[in-house]
Amino acid sequence: MTEQTFSTVHLSQKAKELSKLDGLGVQLWRKRRHLLDTDDLSSDELTTALHAAMLCKEMMKSDGPQALLAEKTVANLFYENSTRTRSSFELAAKRLGATVINVDIASSSVAKGETIIDTGRTLTAMGVDALVQRHNCSGAALQIVREFGEDVQVINAGDGWHAHPSQALLDYFTMWEICKELNGAKIAIVGDITHSRVARSNIALLSRLGADIHLAGPPTLLPDDLSKLGVTVHTQIEAAIENARFIMVLRLQLERQQQGLIPSIGEYKRLYRMDHARLKLAADNCKVFHPGPMNRDLEISNSLADDAKHSLVRVQVQNGVAMRMAILYLLLSSR
Amino acid sequence: MTRKILIKNGLLIDTLEQKETKEDLRLADGEIIERGSGLKAAQDEEVIDAHACWVSPGLVDIHTHMRDLAQKDKEDLHSGSKAAAAGGFTTVVAMANTEPVLDSSNTLSLYLQKIASQAVIEVLPVAAVTKGLLGEELTNMVELAQLGAVAFSDDGKPVQNLVVLRRALQYVKMTGKVIISHAEDLNLAGGGCMHEGLMSTKLGLPGITSASETVAVARELEIVRLTESPYHFTHISCAASLDLIRRAQAEGLPVTVDVTPHHLSLTVDSLENYDTKLKMNPPLRTGKDRAALIEAIKDGTISAIATDHAPHSGLEKSRSFTEAPFGITGLETAFSVCYSELVLAKHIDRLKLLTLMTSGPAQVLDLQTPSLRPGARANICIIDPNYQWTYEAEEGYSRAHNSPWDKKELSGKVLCTIFKGQIVFQASQLAGRH
Ligand SMILES: [Zn+2]
Repeated sequence: MTEQTFSTVHLSQKAKELSKLDGLGVQLWRKRRHLLDTDDLSSDELTTALHAAMLCKEMMKSDGPQALLAEKTVANLFYENSTRTRSSFELAAKRLGATVINVDIASSSVAKGETIIDTGRTLTAMGVDALVQRHNCSGAALQIVREFGEDVQVINAGDGWHAHPSQALLDYFTMWEICKELNGAKIAIVGDITHSRVARSNIALLSRLGADIHLAGPPTLLPDDLSKLGVTVHTQIEAAIENARFIMVLRLQLERQQQGLIPSIGEYKRLYRMDHARLKLAADNCKVFHPGPMNRDLEISNSLADDAKHSLVRVQVQNGVAMRMAILYLLLSSR
Repeated sequence: MTRKILIKNGLLIDTLEQKETKEDLRLADGEIIERGSGLKAAQDEEVIDAHACWVSPGLVDIHTHMRDLAQKDKEDLHSGSKAAAAGGFTTVVAMANTEPVLDSSNTLSLYLQKIASQAVIEVLPVAAVTKGLLGEELTNMVELAQLGAVAFSDDGKPVQNLVVLRRALQYVKMTGKVIISHAEDLNLAGGGCMHEGLMSTKLGLPGITSASETVAVARELEIVRLTESPYHFTHISCAASLDLIRRAQAEGLPVTVDVTPHHLSLTVDSLENYDTKLKMNPPLRTGKDRAALIEAIKDGTISAIATDHAPHSGLEKSRSFTEAPFGITGLETAFSVCYSELVLAKHIDRLKLLTLMTSGPAQVLDLQTPSLRPGARANICIIDPNYQWTYEAEEGYSRAHNSPWDKKELSGKVLCTIFKGQIVFQASQLAGRH
């Protein structure tokens, strides 16, 4: 409490604004404690997240680190390599003045599964306030919440094929900056849906906002009963992107070819690669998203990836830090 | 332990005679010696008051994993047989996928010795169809049957190569034993960990298509047609598999089916929270499949209920859903779960349920059919159908606690199990009845 009053004095204008955010959305964020997926976020929480991310983005432009979470320790626990997402969370936490520890386990040979609970227990015992966890098994974040949810706040930084809520929120933020109303907007998600947590979390979030979601991918990379999620499913990319306002291109793991899910990379490129020629089918002001890291010239053409007029890849990276600041702040700051 | 027991005032449900009577039973020297109304207790007899209870032949489970050997951390023959006794079972059949596998006379002899010294009820071992469960070379089936294997199975795995299965079904004729099939096409199952459908799509987990079971059933049925050897499908989970088997039975093929209590009572919808206590193979299927299983019980396609009791350590089940092993425990809860789902839900009557858990499974493997006739072995279970209780896996007898019914309220409870005239389990609720 004393820390709060002390530090407010030193806060920048935008940081003060952030610290004064209030309302139902803010209360709901504090009450939820954990962020596991996008499917249970209320509209108040979504609006608050956008507002907070906007302020954070301005803080990033003008301010140094702010002591908003100065007493908090955030542990980045990545069982799966992802320099991009990990750095993004790390920067976000540091900009809010939190202490960050990075625990990289991706290369460790310790039997998986045993370590997820053990490591969680160790970090919880050390008094870490939040665990930002990436794991290659679906449900891994929920598992940590079930074990230690009382003692530590959990932010899911990606669990298997299941969910990647911070990615979906940053994508939403990026869309919202361009187009405030997504109700009825046609959004295409293209590629390997089966193995994509980005697709799942985006579908869960965007469908609740009333977006008209169209998916396209080879039938072997479309999971069972997909259309029951309230989306339109295509096997031809052209049908999905026609008149689309936004197109999200998913990364194709090269191992899918070895697994026999697609006949060849060449055929995939021919059928699903997003490029300027295909972009003509989309709405005039269409913007293209990619969660990264890109396989240049595989799922997206080189020239489209670098075309700042249509490609939002760089903006996504920038907004990623802002949205993760917002998430950390909303979950961790106490009143 | 008393040698003479008089069970009074109970409702005798004799599944062999398919008859219910209000009579008393006198047991001595491991046998039922008298059955009648108003039997008077002799001086040296222990009297059990079974008022408002059912008295049934001891339950029979033809699919359990008793582990032991190198997997004592999961279960051993003592803990497993105690768990079985607590569930009302007096005979269980133990699968061959132990470590090491029950595929040689050496290992089987060792296992039989352990059974003799540690099990509190009858445990009958299954021997493997193929060496090391590899699906390649047949085991010495005749020798293993002579030693005491009551059936053959590679359960845990299918015999995928149909040439091997054909030879096994031909060769097994010399033993008079049945082969038990774990019907699964491993390529189609493709490393999945739950039923493939909307829920697996939502959860982002690799699915196991129903076709992986149905395809295997279809193929194996043709080998049965070819060889005319008796064949038993265990833990069938899909509606489409039942359709195939029903047709085959109508054509006169010698095939039988069992179903687990969990496939009868739970569906894939319960997996929402990635609970590894709901991870088993075959996986929980849809509500439609569950309804088809109940229908197949009613029309007689399915003649046995078997638990597939598969104990795993807490550590193994604390792994993530994809990494945790398949299997749940089931012996201590089987009766209560099936009673609620089948009898209280008015699908079948109590006599039919107990038949599915006694003479039904015994006949599948041609085991001695339990009964309540004088002269029969005194293998008995006493059940209070009105008892409401909460199952606490930690307080149970199985070494493992991976039960989806842990801390769940259940209806109907086994109060006492008598094996060869000895009380091998009695619930505290029975104490007041002596
Ligand atoms: Zn099996």
